Amino acid sequence: MGPIYLDHAATTPLAPEARAAMAPFLTEEFGNPSSRHAVGVRAARALEEARRHVARLTGATPDDVVFTSGGTEANNLAVLGLARAQARHGRHVLVGPTEHPCVRDAARALVEEGFEVETLSLDARGGLDLEQARARLRADTVLVAQMLVNNEFGTIYPLARLARLVRASAPHARLHVDAVQAAGKLELSLGELGAHSLAVSAHKFRGPKGAGALALAPGVRPRPLLFGGAQERGLRSGTENVAGIVGLGVAAELAERGLARAQAHFAERRAQLRAALARVEGAELLEPGGSEGVAPAICSLLLPGPPAEAWQHHLEARELYVSVGSACQAKKGGVSPALLALGLDERRAKSVLRLSFGRETSAAEVDAAVDALGAVARELRA
Amino acid sequence: MSDASLPVVLGRYGELWLKGKNRIDFERVLVANARVALAELDPEASVEREHGLLVVRPTRRVHDVARRLQDVFGLVSLSIARPAPSEPDALVPVAHAVLREALDEHPLGRAVRFRVSTKRAEKRFPLTSPELDRYVAERLPAELAARVEVDLTEPELELGIHVRTRTSYVFAARLAGAGGLPVGTVGRGIVLLSGGIDSPVAAWMTMKRGCEAVLLSFHSRPWVGEGFERKVERLARSLARFQPRTRLVLAPLAEIQLAIRDSAPAPYRTVLYRRMMQRIACRLAREERAGAVVTGESLGQVASQTLENLARIEEAGELPVLRPLIGFDKTETIALARRIGTFELSIENEPDCCTVFQPERPIIRGRAADCEAAEARLDVEALVTAAFEARRTLAITP
Repeated sequence: MGPIYLDHAATTPLAPEARAAMAPFLTEEFGNPSSRHAVGVRAARALEEARRHVARLTGATPDDVVFTSGGTEANNLAVLGLARAQARHGRHVLVGPTEHPCVRDAARALVEEGFEVETLSLDARGGLDLEQARARLRADTVLVAQMLVNNEFGTIYPLARLARLVRASAPHARLHVDAVQAAGKLELSLGELGAHSLAVSAHKFRGPKGAGALALAPGVRPRPLLFGGAQERGLRSGTENVAGIVGLGVAAELAERGLARAQAHFAERRAQLRAALARVEGAELLEPGGSEGVAPAICSLLLPGPPAEAWQHHLEARELYVSVGSACQAKKGGVSPALLALGLDERRAKSVLRLSFGRETSAAEVDAAVDALGAVARELRA
Repeated sequence: MSDASLPVVLGRYGELWLKGKNRIDFERVLVANARVALAELDPEASVEREHGLLVVRPTRRVHDVARRLQDVFGLVSLSIARPAPSEPDALVPVAHAVLREALDEHPLGRAVRFRVSTKRAEKRFPLTSPELDRYVAERLPAELAARVEVDLTEPELELGIHVRTRTSYVFAARLAGAGGLPVGTVGRGIVLLSGGIDSPVAAWMTMKRGCEAVLLSFHSRPWVGEGFERKVERLARSLARFQPRTRLVLAPLAEIQLAIRDSAPAPYRTVLYRRMMQRIACRLAREERAGAVVTGESLGQVASQTLENLARIEEAGELPVLRPLIGFDKTETIALARRIGTFELSIENEPDCCTVFQPERPIIRGRAADCEAAEARLDVEALVTAAFEARRTLAITP
């Protein structure tokens, strides 16, 4: 068996349909969507079509979709832009306990503007502590940012319930949802979640890198981060990445249309992994969280013995590509707060490996991956 | 397939004065329009009528389905409701679950004023409405009872129960419906759609009163680029949410404008353009069997919208002109455009056909004799026919 890539939560391969749709916009269809002539108008129409697909994926109306350079920018625009837009009502911000750095650090940057930023907690089972969240919400809370699917464990957080608590206790607050890990895995809908904004990134669901979107509820408008030609209705100036956005649109359409099949596929792979893991002594599938369950495409394994880096590189030697925590966490070299919240000590928290499946991941690949884990377990013990 | 335990969406329709055949037509069109509205979001959803209530059983995205139905004219209000078997003891736990969820929307620390309001369509149900109200309220589990106090006159939280033959419905909140009449029950109108703020609002108001809007726009290629057509297409798309079928007709005006430029006094150009638009609209109306032409004009809003000029324009065609915005101030129109969701698009800067050969000083009080004299130098019939024949019709989806 050739190389096996089980790091789809870091990035996914581009869907062939997305690549085909993008190709003309990298060659003959080079128009600037802001141009008033036909070459420009064709590019503008392509953006509109992509906007409709992203709108359908997120339950927004097309007019409420803002294209960005990816998940990081979409999350930054939401956190900074919505907090600033609401600042006349207060300066209190709450961020989820396991937010990606592009949410957490954006919120931290608000402190310099006089905002008070607090972090929500996990409960003893590793789910979101809703009672604590309720207690933290205030009349002057203007932003609550909470991810939908945890990037390390696949934990699904109870957003709809959090939304109701926010509406009850913080009437001016915007609820922002980082749905970067949820797209293509869960049904996404601003309306169902009760959220004001929702960020997605194309390359996490078989689209290209460099394209993402922020979907907004009707009437919700962040302050822009980028100023210039007033593209995206003034919310995101800068000539649009037309090819990337076209790819995002196609990926969104595929994700929306193929959701039921994807969910069944991921559930099968997880069940298979769970069963096969008995072959690796001391390995354990971590499933923190509460009632909302887990996105089965993301699996965290607690492994015996040396730190996960050693596992990662031994597996790499066998052409199995997985990650230690999330890629973004890995770059920063820290220990995941989610793991510590689960009560793992620092040494054990460093022995966690993440395997994440894609639409292309086959049963044979999962099987071979577990064999590789078993073999590495023996090597590392010897 | 509908799952019996999933929440449903209830739609209430007003216009209770409707009787007999009118009422049957109203309900039939309403059901059909609701189905079309959900065709993309949830094609499997079932849409039915039950004793004067629209009952929609979504298979997914219940909140989005409810929100989508808020754009369907004819519904006064909507509720997301949980179904339960029509027996007192089966209703109680469902009512409590709905209440528990609804209480999340209220802050802790103060008792929420609360009541149960039962409506019975099924009179064989063992309890009367007030009896069921009490039956549910008296059986609240301690953790819920501690958070509410019964207040029959000014409740903040009203738990509604519709008792039906087999399945009853429990809900805690009402969403506003779009009101009006189901589109298609009051015929068809030709709505002149420019790229501006007013005409999309006029189209919306036409649809609101049950009249299907066929959208007609004029472009001045090659004096104005394709961007204008793209803009009206996007406006049409925004409006397509509100009726089951939307068509946008694009007709060329440049030839007509050239002819008018070359043979009429400059101040009369605008009024003469509009007379031609009126004629083309009437031609389209004949083909579409539409009963009226609708415009976004409001009295005196711009210099050209004087009583005289409005009369000059209307005289050119044989159909009545409806002007739903006639008494609106600009601020009122803008507020409505924001609500409908067309405002941001309307203000995008895009040159339109009216800017072509625009006179510096348009005539304020156009006289019929002057209009007719100017038009005597034109082959009006041939110009109108040519523009009408050159039209393109686009089927628009939201």
